[in-house]
Amino acid sequence: MDAAEFFQYVIAGLKSGSIYALVALGFTVVYGATGIINFAQGEFFMLGGVLAVWFHSLGLPLPVAGIAAVAATALLGVVFERVALRRQRSANPLVLVIITIGASMVIKSLARHLFGPDELSLQEFTPGPSIDVAGAAVERQALWVWGLTIVAVLVLAWLYRRTKLGRAMRACSISHDAARLMGIDTARVVMVSFGIAAALGALGGFAVTPLTQTSWDAGAAIGVKGFAAAILGGLGNPVATVIGGLVLGLLESLSVAFLSSTYKDAISLLVLLVVLFVRPQGLFGKARRGKV
Amino acid sequence: MGGMRALTRAGAALLVAVCLLVVGCAGSGAGGDDGAEPYRIGAVLSLTGSYAGLGIPEKKAIDLEVARINEAGGINGREIEVIYEDDATDAAKAQAAAVRLIDEEGVLAIIGASGTGQTMAMRSDAERAGVPIISMAGGSVITDDFSEWVFQTPWPNRIVVPFVLKQMAAAGHTRVALISDTGGYGVDGRDYVLAHAEEAGVTLVADQTYNAGDTDMSSQMTKIRAADPDAVLIWAAGKEAAIIARNARQLNMEQPLYGGSGIARQEFIDGAAEAAEGVRLGTGRILVPEAFGEGTEAYNVATDFIARYEAEYGAKPDIFAGHAYDAIGLIADALGRIDGDVTSEALRDALEQTNGWIGIDGTFTYSANDHNGLTEDEMVLYIIDGGTWRLDD
Amino acid sequence: MSDVKGSRTLMTPHLALIAAAVAVAAVPLLTPDRYVLKVLVYVGVNVIVIAGLALLFGHAGQISMGHAAFVGIGAYTSAYLVKTLGAPWLVGAIAATMLAAAGGLVLALPALRLRGHYLAMATLGFNEIMYVVFREARAVTGGNDGLGGIPYPEVAGLRIDTPVGVYLLVWGVALLTLLLVTNILRSRPGRAMRALHATENGALACGIDTVGLKIRTFALSAALAGLAGALYAHGVGFISPTTFGLDQSVIYVAIVVVGGAGSLAGPVLAAVALTLLPYADALVPGLTKETIAVMQDWEADIYGLAMIAVVIFAPAGIGGLLRRASARRAGEVRG
Repeated sequence: MDAAEFFQYVIAGLKSGSIYALVALGFTVVYGATGIINFAQGEFFMLGGVLAVWFHSLGLPLPVAGIAAVAATALLGVVFERVALRRQRSANPLVLVIITIGASMVIKSLARHLFGPDELSLQEFTPGPSIDVAGAAVERQALWVWGLTIVAVLVLAWLYRRTKLGRAMRACSISHDAARLMGIDTARVVMVSFGIAAALGALGGFAVTPLTQTSWDAGAAIGVKGFAAAILGGLGNPVATVIGGLVLGLLESLSVAFLSSTYKDAISLLVLLVVLFVRPQGLFGKARRGKV
Repeated sequence: MGGMRALTRAGAALLVAVCLLVVGCAGSGAGGDDGAEPYRIGAVLSLTGSYAGLGIPEKKAIDLEVARINEAGGINGREIEVIYEDDATDAAKAQAAAVRLIDEEGVLAIIGASGTGQTMAMRSDAERAGVPIISMAGGSVITDDFSEWVFQTPWPNRIVVPFVLKQMAAAGHTRVALISDTGGYGVDGRDYVLAHAEEAGVTLVADQTYNAGDTDMSSQMTKIRAADPDAVLIWAAGKEAAIIARNARQLNMEQPLYGGSGIARQEFIDGAAEAAEGVRLGTGRILVPEAFGEGTEAYNVATDFIARYEAEYGAKPDIFAGHAYDAIGLIADALGRIDGDVTSEALRDALEQTNGWIGIDGTFTYSANDHNGLTEDEMVLYIIDGGTWRLDD
Repeated sequence: MSDVKGSRTLMTPHLALIAAAVAVAAVPLLTPDRYVLKVLVYVGVNVIVIAGLALLFGHAGQISMGHAAFVGIGAYTSAYLVKTLGAPWLVGAIAATMLAAAGGLVLALPALRLRGHYLAMATLGFNEIMYVVFREARAVTGGNDGLGGIPYPEVAGLRIDTPVGVYLLVWGVALLTLLLVTNILRSRPGRAMRALHATENGALACGIDTVGLKIRTFALSAALAGLAGALYAHGVGFISPTTFGLDQSVIYVAIVVVGGAGSLAGPVLAAVALTLLPYADALVPGLTKETIAVMQDWEADIYGLAMIAVVIFAPAGIGGLLRRASARRAGEVRG
C-alpha cells in the first residue's frame, strides 16, 4: 500500500468520523447538563437532513433551507425538553432515558408519515469534481462537513468558555444542586442544552445528506455510532468527544484497509469494549476521584 | 414490598390479560357463509419498518388490480377481497400475521411477504395449514429451498446474477470487483457471484461488503481501486448503493459500474445524481416497456398497468409494484382455471399449472419443481442516461 | 415491608400462583385459536426474559442493553444442537441456558466494574457484536436467511407439536421462572441485592459480597434469556438475526422501566401489555377495517407515546401504581 492510498483511508475515516463527532457532541452536551443519555439524538440528525430536503423542495435556497432545518430541529429539541422531560427532573435518570427512547420512536414514525418511506436527496453545496490532496481524492462536500464540524466545535467552545450561559452549563455538569444554590437557572440550562444538541445533530444531518441521501430511518444507526464515539472519547467532555468520533471513524476505515469490511463494525466495537474495560472514563476523559 | 406481593400481582395481572384476550378473540372469527361471498386473499406486507418502501407500492398495485378485477365482474362471478396485514419488516410479526390470516380470516392464499426473512418465517405455518404463499421477495432461498406451497414473483439473484456477469464478460470486463451489503439481498447475490463468476468467464479481484446504515463506503472503494478491476459490480439495495456510486466518482474511478434489481429504482438515480450516469444494471423489462417489443401482448399488459397506476397514484410504478401486480394476477388467473370446489389446495394446484401467464416481471410458467417460473430471458441490460433508464446497446 | 400485612388479607402467593396457573390452563379450553396461542407464546417468552431483566435491573441495580443477544445465543445454540446435530431437545435447551449464562459471566466479569451509561454502552456493544456473529456464522445460524424447520420440543419421548402444547410448555416455564425469581427475592441474597441497589457502600459495610452477587445475578438473568431463546426457537420454528438485534434489547429495557424498577409484577404486566400492543388490532373485537389500517400505520407512534405517557404520569411504573392501589385497599381493610 502506498502513502496516497493510506492517506485515502485516513480521509475516509475522518469523513465518517466528523459526522460521528457532531452526533456525539449532541450526546455530550445533554449528558453534561442533565446526566442522561438522549436516545433521540440520532433522530435529530435524521430531521436535519429530511427537513432541509423538505424546505428546499418548497423553494427555499439551499443555505436558507439548511438553516431553517437546523433551527426547526433545535426548536423541537427545546419543546421536547419542556413538554416531556422538565416535569420529570427528579425522576430516576433511566426513566428519562426511556422518555427519549419513546420520543425517538415517535419522531421517526412521524417523519415517515410526513415525508414518506423512500430515500430523499439533496444537491451538493458546491458541486464539482473531487480535489486532489497529496494523491488522495477529497470530495468538495467532505470539506463542507469538516468545515461545519470545526465551526460548530469552535462556537460550542466559545459558548462554554466565554459566555455566562456556557459557564452555567459547565457548572451544571459538575453539580446540579450546587449550580442551583449559586443562583443558576438550571431549568433554562437544560432546555438550552437540548436545543444545542438538536441543532448539532441536525447540522450533521444537513451537511451529510448530499453525500448519503437520507430517510426517515436514518437516525438509529448513526445514533449508536455517536453514542459509541462519545463514550470512546469520554462522555461529557466536548473535546474528547470530537476526538472519540474521529478515532471511531478511523478505526472503521482502517479495519476495511487492513482487516475486513464485513467485520469493521464488530472490530471497532471490540476496541471500544476493551477501552471501556481498561479505561472506563474513556480515552481522554479524566478519571473521577474515588472509585469509578 | 416482598416477593409474595410481587407474585400475587403477577398472577392477578396475568389473569386479567388472559381474560381480555379470550373476550377479544371470541368476537372475531364469526361470519356467515353464502354463495356470493368473495374470494378472501391475505396479504402480508411491510407497510412500516425498513421495507416500507417496498410494501407501500405493493399495496397500491394490489388495490389497483383488485378494483379492476372486481369492476369487471370478479372471477367466476365472485369478487376478490384482500385482507392486509402489516409485518413492520419483522419476521415474528409476519408469522403471526400469516397464522391470523389462515385461522381467523380463512384466506385461500397469502400474498407476501415483502422481504425474504419474513417470507421464510411464514412458511412452516402455511405448509402445515396447506395454504399457498406467493412471495414478492427476491431471495433465491425462497424457491431454491423448495416448498410445494411457496411461489415467488420477482427474478431471484439465481437468475439476475449470472445474466449480469455474462453481460460484463461480453463487454470485455473480465477482472471484476464486487461490493455487496451484508443484508439478505447482498449476501444472497454475493453467493451467486462467487458460484457463477468462473462459468461466466470473469475473475473476482476484490470482494468488499458494507452494512446497512453505513454513510461512507470510500474505504471499501479505495480497496477496490487498488485491486485495479475492469469493472465494479454493486450488489446492493437501499440508499447505500447511491453512496457507492458517488464514492467511485469521488475517487476518480474510471471503471464502469454494474448492478442488478437492487438499484433499479428512481431513488438510486436521484441519490447518485451525476454519479449514476453510465451505470449499467440488469433487471426485468418494466423500466422501459419498449423492451417487451412494441405491440406484443407483454408490452400492452405493461403499458396498460403503468398508465392506470400513474393515473391513480400520480407516479410511475416501480419494480415492487410490478411484483405485486404479478402476485395478485397469478392468483386471479389460477382461480379462474379451477373447476369445482375452490380450496387452497385446488388453488395451489392451479398455480402450479400456470403456463405462459403474461405479467410485469415476465411470462410465468410454474411447474411442480419450479415455483419461480421465470428465466434469464426476462432480463435486459439498462444503462442510466440523462437521469433515466434506456436499453443498453 | 410495611404493607406485607395488607397483602396477607388479600391473597397468598400460593393462591396467586394457582390462580395464574388456572388462568394459563384455561386459555386453551376457552379458545382453540392458533393465532391467540401463538401471540401468547411470544408473550410467555418475553415474560421469562423480563423476569430475569427485572431481577438484574430492579434488584441489583444493573442495566443490560444486550439481553436480546442472550436470547439469540440460546435460540441458536438449541436450534443448532437439535436441528443440525440431532441432540434431544432437553439437551439443547439446557445447553442454551448454560451457554447464555457463560456468555453473561464473560461479559459481566469486566463489565460490572462499569456503572450506569458505561455499562449500557458495553452491553449495547456486546449486542451489536453478537448480531454480526449471528449474521456471519452462516454454517451454524443460516445467516440473514434465518434458520427454519427447527423441530418442536420433545420431552421424554413426548413430542410437543400442537399450538396448545407449545403454549403450555412456554407458560409452564414462565410460571416456574416467576416462582424462582420470587423465591430469590425473598431469600437472603435477594434482600442483599436490594441493599445493593439502595447503597452499594452500605451493602459492602454489612459484609455482602457485592461483586460476586452482581456477577451471579447477571449470569442468572442471561441464563433465563437463553432459556427463553430456546423456547422461542422450537416453539416458533424459525429464527433470524433481526429478532435478536439492539432494537429488541431496547424494548426489553423499556418494558422493565414502564413496569417499574423494583417490582416484579409491574414489569411482567408491562411485558404482557406491550407484547400484545402490536397485535391489538386483531385481538380487540369490533374494530373496523379502516381503524385497523390506521392503527397499524400509527403503531410506532402509539407505542412510543404510550411509553412516554406511562413514564410521565406514573414515574414508578405500573409496579408503583399497583403498590399504591393495594396500599389503599390494605388501608381500607384495616380501617
